Amino acid sequence: MIAATTQAKVTRQRTVAYLGLSVLGACIGILFLTPLWWTFVNSLRPGSDTFRYLNPLEWETFFTATPSLDNYAALLRSDLGLATLNSIIVSGITVVVGLAICSMAAFALAAIPFRGSGIVFVAVVVSFLIPFDAIAIPLANLFRDWNLQNTYAGLILPGLGNGMAIFLLRTFFLAIPKDLVEAGRLDGLGWWGIFRRIYLPLSAPSLIGAGLTLFLFQWQSYVWPLLNGTDSQHILGPIALSNMQGQFNVDYGVMFAGSMVLTLIPLAIIIAFQRYFIQSVSTTGLK
Amino acid sequence: MKRKLLAATSLLAAGTLFLAGCSTSSPNSGTANGSEGSGTGTVNLLGPEDPATFAPVIAAFKAKNPDISVKYSQVPFDQLNPTLQQRLGAKDDTIDVYTVDQPRLSQLAAQGFLEDLSSLKGQTKAAVPDAQYSVNLYQDKLWALPIWNSTQLMFFNKKALDAAGVKHPSIDPAQRMTWEQVVKDGKAVQAAGTQFGLLFEQVEAYYQLQPLAESAGGGSGITGDKMLTTDITNPGWEKAMQWYADTFSSGLSPRGVGGFQTSPVFTSGKVAYFIGGPWDIGNFAKSSIDWGVAPMPYFAGGSQATPTGSWSWGINPASKNKAAAKKFLEFASFDPAGNLATTEAQTIIPANTAATAQYLPKLEALGGDKSKGVGSLIAHENTETAKPRPVSIGYIQFEEIIGKAFADIRNGSPVSERLKQAAQQINDAWKQL
Repeated sequence: MIAATTQAKVTRQRTVAYLGLSVLGACIGILFLTPLWWTFVNSLRPGSDTFRYLNPLEWETFFTATPSLDNYAALLRSDLGLATLNSIIVSGITVVVGLAICSMAAFALAAIPFRGSGIVFVAVVVSFLIPFDAIAIPLANLFRDWNLQNTYAGLILPGLGNGMAIFLLRTFFLAIPKDLVEAGRLDGLGWWGIFRRIYLPLSAPSLIGAGLTLFLFQWQSYVWPLLNGTDSQHILGPIALSNMQGQFNVDYGVMFAGSMVLTLIPLAIIIAFQRYFIQSVSTTGLK
Repeated sequence: MKRKLLAATSLLAAGTLFLAGCSTSSPNSGTANGSEGSGTGTVNLLGPEDPATFAPVIAAFKAKNPDISVKYSQVPFDQLNPTLQQRLGAKDDTIDVYTVDQPRLSQLAAQGFLEDLSSLKGQTKAAVPDAQYSVNLYQDKLWALPIWNSTQLMFFNKKALDAAGVKHPSIDPAQRMTWEQVVKDGKAVQAAGTQFGLLFEQVEAYYQLQPLAESAGGGSGITGDKMLTTDITNPGWEKAMQWYADTFSSGLSPRGVGGFQTSPVFTSGKVAYFIGGPWDIGNFAKSSIDWGVAPMPYFAGGSQATPTGSWSWGINPASKNKAAAKKFLEFASFDPAGNLATTEAQTIIPANTAATAQYLPKLEALGGDKSKGVGSLIAHENTETAKPRPVSIGYIQFEEIIGKAFADIRNGSPVSERLKQAAQQINDAWKQL
């Protein structure tokens, strides 16, 4: 009887703790969501009303009774459409070509024994420990000498060889049993065959993780496109968004609408691939 | 393991050395290698404005000079200076003409980032007001041509003032209000139900707050033969800043709203008096509130001072098409039609005197009856009360440090101590020049 009561008590306590934690989790989640929600609500009202309901806080701060899509319509007349398209092109090519390069490099470092592979790996690690902003200026000078200013190639090239992506993929490749390689060899596969037929098919989650790293690097790229030239044909999303902040007037409504567009695209991609992304990060350390 | 660590360290060291080598040698390598060019072809213009702003002047120039095309690139406003520093430092010849923030001209000239335009001194002097000529001089040479000018005005919310029975301020500069009166009336308006009494458009910007110190007798804050001596701890500066701090601590002005986020607060009807620029006229005209405009106030017993200055355009010494760039620059600054075209899509005062005369009536008409008389008010302020920002190669550091001090002061830092601290920081920064 006593044991049963104690057990019931423990169960109840657990339920309360579970509920408490869930509510706490939900509250923290809402706190994270609030700025994005506020941005979204304000993208639906005219710019002159942006700060109208901020002080004191009222229900209209977070909701609007008269939503309008005018700000989104205004975006169509701005550079943001072309800029978003450019960002998609640049990020897309970076992901495809970058994954090819990074996975081959990671494969070489993980599977092919060669002299100096340790040094090459250290160089790769060092390359992503140095912040890109620190090398951007000398790199921009080189690109200028090579006439790569205001070109897609100039925007894409710095994103292709990503040390972080190579590191992630190499760690994953190291976990693939060597027996498979041996078996492949016995069946007459060369290095390319082993890479193409054994490593790549087994590594889809980590390829997706590395692809997202490459994608986000380009999607958020701000300093580099500014250094590399900013003509209107090669403008990228973050630059176009920042350009909306004029020096005399800022239409926050349109700016928030632009922010929503630029946020939703990576958000959709991350949500679509989130399962693989978590899987890849959580399994890269496993042996 | 040890070997790997050693290899990593040496690689890191080599990498750092390589980077250091690149970043220090590139900006200084070689001399300005630009050329006059053929006088035709493409001129690249770089600035922080929306492309629509300069489209009219580019089209007007093309109509007169069919063999020269102007291509405009926009850089975000807050990234303009770092981007210019990097690209001009690397002798980037894809910039021919660029916009020059007037108080930054002396530093850009001292760095060798501007082409000497002294041969155009006579023409410039004849075309623009004196203050607009002198801000483009550094060490007696002319480095850029003035394009835009500016001033500050006081806007007021008629409905809010009426509710408190406060008289509307006059637009006549002879009946300019004092800051003391603004505070008194602002509080009365607040008591009658309006949320805030007073709001500056650029709450932390030296451009807009310099006149407070000037009016209280504190000067610009920079003195000395070389204009590298700080002077921001004198009684005038302390008085002005204490007054400014009080407007926030008393609740007359809101603390939470940053620079250039403020005009929406005025258009939502929550503020009695708003200190803003001519660009607000067009903006406010579109809003639903009833407003009027008056001269920027001054301190009782002090001098009358208003901000001035805006943007000039200069030529990159590394440009390979200087002759055509110069033609475009002369058109945009000296030709009244060209200069006027730069203001077609943006409410801003043209620097050219003849263009200003044509522009002000148009500006006045923008606000209809509400801005009646603003044309002659601006003309008066440009010639009588305009106080340009100091010409100093240390201006950039000064502006940045004083801006932080303004931010702290409005958020409650003790005025006298914060100004002393800022003076110390500015002196330290200038030691490195």
